[in-house]
Amino acid sequence: MRAGEKIYLTPTPVRIWHWLNALGIVTLCVTGAEIRFPEYVQVFGSYKAAVRLHNTAGIVVALSYLMWFVYYAFVARSLIKTYVPTAKDILGGMVRQALYYFFYFFLGNRPNPHRQTPENKFNPLQKASYMVIMFILTPLVIVTGILLMNVVPLRAIVLVIGGLKVMVAVHWLLACAFCAFLFIHIYLATMGHTPFAHIKPMWTGWEEIEPDMYDEEAEAQPKVADETSNVLQLQKEKSPPHLKKAAGE
Amino acid sequence: MVRIVKRIAWIAGCLLLTVAVVWGMEARECADCHTDTSIIEEGGCYLYIDPVQYSRTAHSEVGCPACHKSVTDDHPDDGTRPPLPSRTICGDCHEDVAKEYRASAHAANADCVDCHNPHRVRPVAAVSGFEMNRVCTKCHDPKEVSRTHGVWLPQAELHIEALPCITCHTGSKNYVITFYILKVEKHGGAMTKVKVAALEDLKGIVSGKLGTLVDADGNGTISLAELRAFNASYRKKGLELWGMMTPEHVSHSLETLDNRWDCTFCHASGPSAMQTSFLAFPEGQGSYRRVPIERGAVLDAIYGTPDFYMIGVTRNRTLTIIGLIIAAAGLTVPIGHGSLRLLTMKNRKRRK
Repeated sequence: MRAGEKIYLTPTPVRIWHWLNALGIVTLCVTGAEIRFPEYVQVFGSYKAAVRLHNTAGIVVALSYLMWFVYYAFVARSLIKTYVPTAKDILGGMVRQALYYFFYFFLGNRPNPHRQTPENKFNPLQKASYMVIMFILTPLVIVTGILLMNVVPLRAIVLVIGGLKVMVAVHWLLACAFCAFLFIHIYLATMGHTPFAHIKPMWTGWEEIEPDMYDEEAEAQPKVADETSNVLQLQKEKSPPHLKKAAGE
Repeated sequence: MVRIVKRIAWIAGCLLLTVAVVWGMEARECADCHTDTSIIEEGGCYLYIDPVQYSRTAHSEVGCPACHKSVTDDHPDDGTRPPLPSRTICGDCHEDVAKEYRASAHAANADCVDCHNPHRVRPVAAVSGFEMNRVCTKCHDPKEVSRTHGVWLPQAELHIEALPCITCHTGSKNYVITFYILKVEKHGGAMTKVKVAALEDLKGIVSGKLGTLVDADGNGTISLAELRAFNASYRKKGLELWGMMTPEHVSHSLETLDNRWDCTFCHASGPSAMQTSFLAFPEGQGSYRRVPIERGAVLDAIYGTPDFYMIGVTRNRTLTIIGLIIAAAGLTVPIGHGSLRLLTMKNRKRRK
């Protein structure tokens, strides 16, 4: 792959899930802030409107999570591969990636050690953090949210788990963690070779190869073995004229 | 002159004593028949007066004839059935309440005695929130109440369970949180039934004074530590605390006030509003004795009152701070990394 080439990295169902989730989580954060601090945060007119919107956004996020899970687990069948770090990732990959983000990136003397391909979409740090978020935090926030929305019918479960306040405490702390994630996620999304280089592909699906990839190594192996890329192949065959143009063909 | 005054005072004293004796005698005469359960078979259950409950009411101090004025000396042989005490009679003593109630739309539909049994009536602090609502259900079907509230009120059933109707439907003032002890009856590990614990239920669990169940040191105030200790030990024995928002000063202006449609009437006062709470111990016969709880206990993070939470109000300060620190930690990445990124921009441009 050469700089400027594009790969189809994010399939449509994943993009739908991502933006549905993004809208849902932002709504949940703002309405959640109004619900917890009604004296200080007043955005949605009435408190009841904030509660209703929060509940609706919660259901949307829960359904989109289900969609994400079904797609990765049963359609793409790449849930573990995409989100669970390998032994190699844990032993060296994470450190290499952290060194890049917090050291080499500033020095500007080394490229990003991770190369995005449809099969290896996330760098080791992304994998680890997304794994925690998608396998632990999101299910927990959804479960506590469902319990809080249905206190009367699900009271037996609420009591077994530890009571309403345990539910609320967990839900609140998780919400803060999601808020923190949102700040980091949006910032890191601007870390491509241009500020929108990682954001656009989440809308179109096509990711442009970073110039940094076009280094000595890439020069030596201009055609990366990508038997993975059925989709990439598809792109080469059927890519629309504007993509060919972008690829400099 | 002094002698004359003394004589007049003596005669007046004798007269008062005579009246009191006659009244007392009359009340005793009434009690002879009306505290005997056999009267239920003879004329109906409404004729029976529970002597213990009646003795706890302020009405027992004024005596039967004060309200049942039309009862003659020949009762019950005179063949007449004395009418129930009217609103006017209640108004003789409760003038302000009667005036307030008359002005409400509810007055056309129910008389004082339809809601208040004068032979059992107690101060509001001695009545549980559940009992207050039970009175309303005499006319208002709970299912219909639940349905009509569910149309506009989020978590309608939860609100109905945690609020006496009069909290929203009267102009009552000064709300506090009153905790009642619930008994969770378990069968084979699965929870089967939750009910308000009666005195008899608790007697089987507590060996000493009932108050020590929560107020371990018996000093008349429940500390946060005592509340935690109760939750830690008695939750396993099937006792739970259930909090209700009850009014301290009850108004009889029964109506739906406009500000009660606005959730922030209750849900936006902030933690300072949730400082005052009580624990109501059953005393038998549906009567309760309240013991004050340490200020701010309902705001305790988890163990103080694990099942009481009012969104927007009972947020715990410590948890709020921890949460905000977590969110702020997320901001340090774009701020810190972003600043360094800006400062080192030249390094990356040089490479390109």
